[in-house]
Amino acid sequence: MRQSFLRRLAESVVILIGVALLIFIMLRVVPGNPIEIMMGEHANQSTVDRMTAELGLDKPIYVQFFRYITGALRGDFGTSYSLGKPVSSLMRSAFGNTLKLSVSAAVFAWVIGILCGVLSAVRAGGPADHIFMGFSLMGVSMPVFMTAMVLQFFFGYYLHWLPISGSGSWRNFILPAIALGWNSAGAISRLTRSTLLDVLQEDYIETARAKGLTETTVVLFHALRNTMLPVVTMMAIQFSGMLSGAVITETVFSINGIGRLSVLAISGRDIPLLQGTVLFSTAVVILGNLISDSLYSVLDPRIRREA
Amino acid sequence: MIHNSDMTLEVQGLSVSIHTRKGTTKPVNDVSLRIPKGKIIGIVGESGCGKSMTARACMGLLKPPVKIESGRILLAGRDLVGLPESDMCAVRGSEISMIFQEPMTGLNPVMKVGRQVDEAVRVHRHIPASKARQETIRMFEAVGIPEPEARYNSYPHELSGGLRQRVMIAMAMICRPALLIADEPTTALDVTVEAQILRLMKELNKAGTSILLISHNLGVIAQVCDYVYVMYAGQILEEAEVCALFDSPLHPYTRGLLESVNSLRREEPVLETIAGSVPDFLHLPQGCSFSPRCGQCLERCASGEPPLFEPEPGHKVRCHLYDKDTSRI
Amino acid sequence: MNRDKLLQLMRENKVAVLSALVILLFVLAAVFAPFLTPYDPKEMDILHRLSGPDAAHLLGTDEGGRDILTRMLYGARVSLLAGVLPTLMSMLLGTALGLLSGFAGGVVDEIIMRIADVMLAFPSTLLAMLIVYTIGGGLTGVFLTLALVNWAGVARVVRAETLRLRGSVFVTAARSIGVPQTRIALRHILPGCIPTMIVLFTLGVPSAILTESSLSFLGLGIQPPATSWGLMINQGRQYLYTAPWCSFAPCVAIMLIVLAFNFLGDGLRDALDPHLESK
Repeated sequence: MRQSFLRRLAESVVILIGVALLIFIMLRVVPGNPIEIMMGEHANQSTVDRMTAELGLDKPIYVQFFRYITGALRGDFGTSYSLGKPVSSLMRSAFGNTLKLSVSAAVFAWVIGILCGVLSAVRAGGPADHIFMGFSLMGVSMPVFMTAMVLQFFFGYYLHWLPISGSGSWRNFILPAIALGWNSAGAISRLTRSTLLDVLQEDYIETARAKGLTETTVVLFHALRNTMLPVVTMMAIQFSGMLSGAVITETVFSINGIGRLSVLAISGRDIPLLQGTVLFSTAVVILGNLISDSLYSVLDPRIRREA
Repeated sequence: MIHNSDMTLEVQGLSVSIHTRKGTTKPVNDVSLRIPKGKIIGIVGESGCGKSMTARACMGLLKPPVKIESGRILLAGRDLVGLPESDMCAVRGSEISMIFQEPMTGLNPVMKVGRQVDEAVRVHRHIPASKARQETIRMFEAVGIPEPEARYNSYPHELSGGLRQRVMIAMAMICRPALLIADEPTTALDVTVEAQILRLMKELNKAGTSILLISHNLGVIAQVCDYVYVMYAGQILEEAEVCALFDSPLHPYTRGLLESVNSLRREEPVLETIAGSVPDFLHLPQGCSFSPRCGQCLERCASGEPPLFEPEPGHKVRCHLYDKDTSRI
Repeated sequence: MNRDKLLQLMRENKVAVLSALVILLFVLAAVFAPFLTPYDPKEMDILHRLSGPDAAHLLGTDEGGRDILTRMLYGARVSLLAGVLPTLMSMLLGTALGLLSGFAGGVVDEIIMRIADVMLAFPSTLLAMLIVYTIGGGLTGVFLTLALVNWAGVARVVRAETLRLRGSVFVTAARSIGVPQTRIALRHILPGCIPTMIVLFTLGVPSAILTESSLSFLGLGIQPPATSWGLMINQGRQYLYTAPWCSFAPCVAIMLIVLAFNFLGDGLRDALDPHLESK
């Protein structure tokens, strides 16, 4: 198992380097001189030249890439053109908000998703099943901006229960968490339901029933653990997706997180900042995939001991 | 009917029905079984004849749309049919327990086998975990699992098929039930392992447990059973002491079954088989359900369903050929 | 598949049939937009700006006094096209690369699949943002972006399918009688991938529609004076509290079309039973 983990780790590192290279190349082919964009149209030519040299943009592109990678490994992503601060410190403060949003959205999604999925499966075909699955389907089909705006309109504007935007207090995070988690909750409940229904057909469930366990014990202690194998994998991937920056949710609710920082970087044509946020976000996703793979083998004794 | 105290389990007129959109079927039709204390009773039949369904009905494990239509299942005189689920849970695994055909998939893959076994004793006897563990290890020893202490912490995928089936038996026996239902316990196993498991079941039987053994394999039935029921299309076609059944089978179906085994043994060039296949429960034939495949079919077999006749004491058969009232033939 | 079987499948899967009808309705509405409304989607009418739904404007008007229903009909052209066209492009690209990868094996396979891995590692919205930033927004930019975002997933599935079919008996048989490699790839393996591709396409369209609307919603996609549902939502967002109809009508349209395509895709998957990798 350790071997397969190391192989996956090496693969992840290769992918990450590929990602860094791709971002780097894509942002270099954008037309327009970044220094001129940063300084404005009326900048003095000598100042532009001095800045170009200072930022190392006169060097060959592979030198720039090497410098960028070594810098990134030390946590130095350069300085944001538009905001004038180090990219790493901007990302650090933004990540705090993204983390709060992701954790609350994930908790919402997991609790609601698993609960609805289990209840639907054990009452398959009944009214509760239809209601929950209708909600789940809405969850996976509603675009995030729609959920977000409906919540803003109804709970923020119409009922005045919760703040519409910002990231000051924990109350600010309730609506964004629901908006962001809604989608995931739908996906989780559907997966939980279908997996649990499959698991309940297994022979060992019949064995557990034949042992004289009550149906509740059978579901909670025998079926659910097997059901959770694929669900946990999905949960890990979803969570890393949220951590990589919920672009739409953060924009709609004006939360200064990683996703919003990316949008700011694009609208400000701020290459170092965009490079930093995209690289960070992708790294988080790759890490999430790695963790979800490992979680699976930790939870499933068949994989754990074989390898 | 007065309860006979010598009976572990008595099934009277059990019918099971399945309601689907395509129609209602009766995979178990008016089945009566008697399992005396300390005996091994066999049910033999082709797959799909309703023998597993009968076993599941006794365990109260039928799930909608399958349900018990009528009949009684008396466990030590108490009718299990219509018992509330909570009471049924107390019976399952404690008074009646069951082992299944597939030892490969019958154990939970993510739980240690020891935990799966002692779970049974903990829910029924409410004893502390350490004591349950001891009992489990003792039971592992009793069913012939080598290194029982180490095996306690094994996961199912680490055990061979024979060991898994022993674990299943340990799980079924740990509360010392009055009745063990074994549904094709050796079908998925090698022949050598099969012999070991059958020997183990005989030992358990000698120690006082009645066994209901379900199999499609006449050889297995002949080796261990005292009394045999032959089932076909949801009905009992013949029942007798094991010797009587094998020495002088009465029903054409039973004869066919035995012929197909014997012809193999005699290495005759022509393989005797029963023509046709098991009928679809949705389209059961009129009259005797075996009549379309029967070589000795009479005119009235196609119209009237035969009752159980008893041409010899203790040997019953559901066939018009044994009607003593010859005027009707 | 013969006609009777198709009819039976349709009877069994009413939801999929209904979804197909909804999609058809949307397409017809987009095609015949000029005949369905008396208004011009670009003509301002300052006197009637942000008026709620009434008999003259069934879904109300926006901040320029333009009829929302009219703009939605015209916006549907862009949104639906953004769903179909880039998905076709990414299917072509992905299928070609997947087939090549699965068939050539070795270094070619390794290179294509590692590039696909890199593409798939990105969060999808962010990847779309990055590409659209590089090649520029507007109609062409958005379409190209959507095509580039989705090919990797297609390539991976087609590769797996190719590998599966390559090992099958009929391919071995074809090879044993000396059928050339390219002919095996195009005449034996590609047709075998078609059910999978149909399902991938049906499920790819709604995802492309969602990505387009997300980009336009962020102001990075379709640029005025052209319009799409996502852009309408973006423009209406400022008036969310005073004129919620501006945003909600296109929101509902997106949800309906996405739902319809997803149902249709599920139905087709059940009907065609392709061997999709569950990721």
